[in-house]
Amino acid sequence: MIARRDMRVRLAARRELSPSCFLLELVTDTPFEAQPGQFGMLACRAGRDPFLRRPFSLAAVGARGEGTVCELLVKEVGRGSRALRELAVGGELQLLAPLGRGFDLATPEGGRLALVAGGIGLPPLLFAAERLAAAGQPFDLFLGAATAAELLLVERCQRAVGAVGGELVLATDDGSRGERGVITEALARRWASGAAYATALACGPTPMLAALTQLARSWGLELQLSLEEPMACGVGVCLGCVVDGADGRRVTTCKEGPVFRASELAARWWQ
Amino acid sequence: MSVDLSVAVGTLRLANPVLSASGTFGYGLDLVDLCPPEALGGVVTKGLSPLPRAGNPPPRIVETAAGMINAIGLQNVGVDAFCRESLPQLRQRRVVVVVNVFGETMDAYVQVLRRCEEEEGIAAYELNVSCPNVSAGGMEFGHEPQQLERLTARCREATEKPLWVKLSPNAPDLVATARAAVAGGADALSLINTVRAVAIDAERRRPVLPRVFGGLSGPAIKPIALRMVLEVHRALPEVPLVGIGGIETGRDAVEFLLAGASAVQVGTATFRDPAAPLRIVRELEAFCAAEGVGAVQELVGALAWP
Repeated sequence: MIARRDMRVRLAARRELSPSCFLLELVTDTPFEAQPGQFGMLACRAGRDPFLRRPFSLAAVGARGEGTVCELLVKEVGRGSRALRELAVGGELQLLAPLGRGFDLATPEGGRLALVAGGIGLPPLLFAAERLAAAGQPFDLFLGAATAAELLLVERCQRAVGAVGGELVLATDDGSRGERGVITEALARRWASGAAYATALACGPTPMLAALTQLARSWGLELQLSLEEPMACGVGVCLGCVVDGADGRRVTTCKEGPVFRASELAARWWQ
Repeated sequence: MSVDLSVAVGTLRLANPVLSASGTFGYGLDLVDLCPPEALGGVVTKGLSPLPRAGNPPPRIVETAAGMINAIGLQNVGVDAFCRESLPQLRQRRVVVVVNVFGETMDAYVQVLRRCEEEEGIAAYELNVSCPNVSAGGMEFGHEPQQLERLTARCREATEKPLWVKLSPNAPDLVATARAAVAGGADALSLINTVRAVAIDAERRRPVLPRVFGGLSGPAIKPIALRMVLEVHRALPEVPLVGIGGIETGRDAVEFLLAGASAVQVGTATFRDPAAPLRIVRELEAFCAAEGVGAVQELVGALAWP
């Protein structure tokens, strides 16, 4: 397990990606590493508003000088994300990371991974894609969103996929870019025409994860899901973020997840 | 200047007055890397029942102004798993362990105590008679003085260790419940548990939590908690109190000590800062050094009444 730390981080850059989404580049003097699928708890502003930290999936973590640079992809939805939009470059925040269980990227020899991202579910899969690209491990990346404007960081995804000769499949609900319809249908079309995957890794809205779980079950495809639940602590003590496990226990998303094998989750994920 | 941080809660001596509050620190071992439990005055466990409990269905938490509302519903591994899996490690680390006890019936409380009495390494018990998030047990014992006295007396028979009763701020008469717990044999009272509260989603016109009501914690309740500690201390000056409610800094802890608490518990602050209990110990020490207080114990009940 990689050691977690509560670190002072500095906003080095913010890049607007769409009217509601932006990418934060945070730097710290503390060296740290993370697995794709792990997350951090970010205090979005000093003081008590917002009161709780927010969980953010890590989109990239790498060494910079003696320290570390870490990227977060943020969609403005409430007070925490609004505070992050307003934070001046150079401003400091507190980040507790890395937390939770990430993706298992191991594949059988010659096996191929399918990475499936819906909307703001991209960060853990971007992190996985860039790790896989660096390791020369083959994968295809399926990226879906409501509209072309909400398909984020497409060139960067293309570069990672291209490095291992994989395919980047895009889909939008309105057909404004890529295939028309939801991304799980695009995956189903590839599967029907003979594409074979050892494992699929996914993050996105619940309906997407549910549809994917159903498809994966019918295909016998192993599936790992990254879940997002509201949480207070991020470290397994508040018990606010539980989901129903297959064994009848309520399991914490923060500590036992956020990545679960579909088989570990209760039936609501495919019914 | 060196400061003596030790305090006495009745017969129990603690190296410092800061404990983790029940339900905010797991079973004492989840944050060993960020907040070593042996560095605290003690650790109060998540409420333990005779059998494991799944707790309430999610969503369970809502953020509020300077606080949060929870409706966890006492999800826990059960007393047996705690004794087998966590207690040996806590013992090895020499952690001062206070077991928080919960049951749906009086017999269930006694059952938890009996199981714990088989073990070494438990310093005290805290009876949870104030959880607002369960349909049986919890508040039903904490709100009615006669019931509370009976429950406390039953538990008193089961152990000779220090017995704390955690009071509900939602009881119709706080001082009456405090007296009842003491009459039943409580050695100390911890207060307060969360304040019954509601969050409403304006657009959906629905309560945010499926159970509608939850318990408010965090700095939002600190002035109420201080008032309640002060009231109980003035009514029962001989009874040791453990202050709880929105403590985030060493200064907050000092305020509770002055109001009459012999020790304090840190809860929701740990969600925002996992090292909060330890930081508060250090801030308390720095406060005492700066103010020329040689021993923290001097602060207990030292409020100058106008």
